[in-house]
Amino acid sequence: MIWRYVIQRLLIAAVQLLALAVLVFFIIRLMPADPVARLVGFNASPEAYAQSQQALGLDRPLLLQFSDFLGLTAGQPGGGLLQGSLGESWESNEPVADELIRSLPVTLELVSLSLLVSLLLAIPIGMYAAARPGGAVDKGAYVWGMFAGSQPDYWWGLLFILVFAFTLGVAPAPLGRHDPLLLPPDPVTGLILVDSVLRGRWDVLVSAFGYLALPVITMVFTVSGAIIKMIRQNTVRALSSDYVMFARACGLPQRTVALYALRTALTPTLTLVAVFFSVLLSAAVTVERVFSLNGVGQYSVRAILNFDYPAIQGAVLAVAFVSLMVYLLVDILHAVLDPRSRSH
Amino acid sequence: MSAQAAGGALLSATGICVDYEGKRAVDGFSLEIQRGGFVGVMGQPGCGKSTAALALLGLVRPPGRITAGRVLWQGRNLLEMDERQLAGIRGSQIGLVTQSPRSSLHPMLTVGAQLVRVYRAHTSASRREAREHALEMLRLVGIQEPARRLDAYVHELSTGMAQRVVIAMALCNQPALLVADEPTSGLDVTIQAQVLDRLWEAAGQLGSAVLLVTQDLGIVANYCDRVVVMDRGGVVEEQTVHGFFQAPRHQYSRRVVGLQTLVSASSPQPDAIRNAAGPEAEDVLVRVRGLRKVFRVPGRTEPLAAVDDIDLAISRGECVGLVGESGSGKTTAGRCILRLEDPDAGEILFAGKALHQMRPVELRAERARMQIVFQDPLDSMNPRWTVEQVIREPLDLATELSTGERRNRILELSRATGLPLDALERRPRELSAGLQQRVAVARAMVTRPDFVVLDEPTSALTPETTAELVGLLRDLRGRYGVAYLLISHDLTTIRDACDRVVVLYLGQVVEEGLTEQIFGAPRHPYTRALIAAHLSADPNSRRVDQTDRTGLLGEIVPVSESLMGCRLSPRCPHAVSRCRAETQSLEAQADGRRVRCWRALEGDLE
Ligand code: SF4
Repeated sequence: MIWRYVIQRLLIAAVQLLALAVLVFFIIRLMPADPVARLVGFNASPEAYAQSQQALGLDRPLLLQFSDFLGLTAGQPGGGLLQGSLGESWESNEPVADELIRSLPVTLELVSLSLLVSLLLAIPIGMYAAARPGGAVDKGAYVWGMFAGSQPDYWWGLLFILVFAFTLGVAPAPLGRHDPLLLPPDPVTGLILVDSVLRGRWDVLVSAFGYLALPVITMVFTVSGAIIKMIRQNTVRALSSDYVMFARACGLPQRTVALYALRTALTPTLTLVAVFFSVLLSAAVTVERVFSLNGVGQYSVRAILNFDYPAIQGAVLAVAFVSLMVYLLVDILHAVLDPRSRSH
Repeated sequence: MSAQAAGGALLSATGICVDYEGKRAVDGFSLEIQRGGFVGVMGQPGCGKSTAALALLGLVRPPGRITAGRVLWQGRNLLEMDERQLAGIRGSQIGLVTQSPRSSLHPMLTVGAQLVRVYRAHTSASRREAREHALEMLRLVGIQEPARRLDAYVHELSTGMAQRVVIAMALCNQPALLVADEPTSGLDVTIQAQVLDRLWEAAGQLGSAVLLVTQDLGIVANYCDRVVVMDRGGVVEEQTVHGFFQAPRHQYSRRVVGLQTLVSASSPQPDAIRNAAGPEAEDVLVRVRGLRKVFRVPGRTEPLAAVDDIDLAISRGECVGLVGESGSGKTTAGRCILRLEDPDAGEILFAGKALHQMRPVELRAERARMQIVFQDPLDSMNPRWTVEQVIREPLDLATELSTGERRNRILELSRATGLPLDALERRPRELSAGLQQRVAVARAMVTRPDFVVLDEPTSALTPETTAELVGLLRDLRGRYGVAYLLISHDLTTIRDACDRVVVLYLGQVVEEGLTEQIFGAPRHPYTRALIAAHLSADPNSRRVDQTDRTGLLGEIVPVSESLMGCRLSPRCPHAVSRCRAETQSLEAQADGRRVRCWRALEGDLE
């Protein structure tokens, strides 16, 4: 039963991705930009221009370009989207897919770790604040949410670098994912934390944690206020519910009553995880820049600035794919945890 | 009382005060409960009866606080105990049954898991023993197929079933006292009687005392042996049930007890049409033939007939009651007759005109002559409008009256419905539930219609305001000669207001007759069960004293249309094999009644 649901959702996701691909393809071509000029320079001869235009395939009619992109043109080298190819970057002439495989894990690592830390902080704080409304923790969390969320993330990032890396010297300078002097482990998953464990490179692991600390703290800082607030609200609702009162009236131990409330308070929070994942993905764009992390955010910015159409398309699709998968995962978990969502 | 002599009160509360953010909800509440007693707590809404009952367990809904008082339980003050000590007493020595069973059960745990937890919290039973015990408890409170229900979640249960589960949880450790806070509000009469019977029996078997908070005089008369009346947060009267009904002392008690005698003394209409089979041809205002409405239910292949071949006639100035449990199709039938919903088949003649064939434009012109009053008046009122605008709406939509005439009409109707003068300027939301319903009636009557459908108009009202509304409807009928179709599951309202009664079961008419025929000598087993479940406010003929209380089995279950035989047969205590083989048809009897049951027609059931 659950498999049918998963397959159904995967099919829907495939359709969504295809629609998005079409949309992105046409929208970037509507931009008033000239990628050829950008590539050959404005002073290039008309011949060089034409040659380059031909090499990029931009001299062909739009619909033919579209069919190339999808991989519908017969005898096309390398295939297109439908064959699983995202094309080659005009900037580096490398397959976009390869570049994404390098940059995407960086972002995923940053975002997941930030989300995990945010939740680990927010759940106990939010629940404690709900249990004692108006108490010191509740008020503190409120002020935190107002203050931390109102400042832009790069500003926090710069501030932390200034204080922790340069003034106090307790954190490494923002120079990537780990000490540049260390040789990275051979990639397995692309996630540096996982790979260093798999390859037994403990030195890299320690260094990577150090280098990730500031960017993660920056992300946590901006987003945790909002998560705390939502967890607090859900918990307040659960605590004042009839079933919690009835559980107390039945003389259930306090621990059990707390678990009853926790269960219903956290399930709606699960849905928010997907939302916050997307929020963090977009925050990653600036945070990666501040901390010189070569993630997919940085990659997209570069691709856009260079009018590198295949790279832009690839990055958008990759990020959308990740978001869709996170939503799917969250929905499946939700269905497992909440019997009500299973019946329809 | 011997128990009292033996060991004093089981529980004694003194001077309890509960505050809600500075407002005092319970003010010096004191009460003693004896072992094995069945005490009813009555009072108007907002008098603090539910809050006081909860406070007996040391519980209070947030953000309230218990600020003073003492609850002595076995010599110790409950209100001074910490949560851990309280948890040892709650659920094991004092049980609670709540008002809203469906929200009182955890939505993500199975019923069985919750029962098991409550039992194991107070005993050293193993998981398996606890599950066995849970099964036994579900059986005790009358749940069918208890083994299957153990693994159900609350959203898969009906309200009646959820209430039984809550009772099972409250009773599973054999508490010496059970506090029940309006345990049957919102249940159908048949289910209410089943639930209360089970509660009464189970408490009796386990030797538990019961404190029952209710507004319903019928419940008090039939189940309680003492009555406590509350007003403004304190106890104002305490009596035996017999004393209470013979000589009520507090003004609230006198009013509610008086209501009963007052209404029943004046019930028959002076010039009502006394023909059980319905009006003669020339008097007919509304005639319905073969009315049918089906719904597609997700997950079922066949469509479900909510209204299945209903025939009905209503004459000018007549009041016909439509009764049946929820799910019997009565609301759908009412809406179809006014064509607020389009029936799938059947004809509706209104003053000789074929309503069922009318196009929307023609229908709009007829709307002035037929109106509806809904269950929840606010649902159909624009919250930003004043009461005057609300009442004027049908005049604007369906009549051509001048502004002055409209104004006069509104004033006339607000006077006729007893609205206070200043109400016209207010918003509906600012009025009490009783006044809101009067506004709804005034709006329905302002175009001087010939026919008004009243869909559960009293379900949100207290017994007092219900009686007032019934009086008002009778008044308006005398004044304007309007005919009513009164849809209600409240048999007291039906008995007091109607000339004739039509009983529905699963979309079919099962019996039709004059009000006194139906209430005095019901024939169809379903009608019998309804009337038997109706708790009349008379402590001298208590339901629990009758030896034979066989009612219907279980709850209303939609049956597939292809099912042969009588639709009631799965629940009917008189069902025999012929019932399951033959489809029953509605047959007229010599005295004009119509009944759909061969055994009743043959006189087998007398
Ligand atoms: S026909 Fe049979 S089953 Fe149906 S109501 Fe009559 S006695 Fe009961």
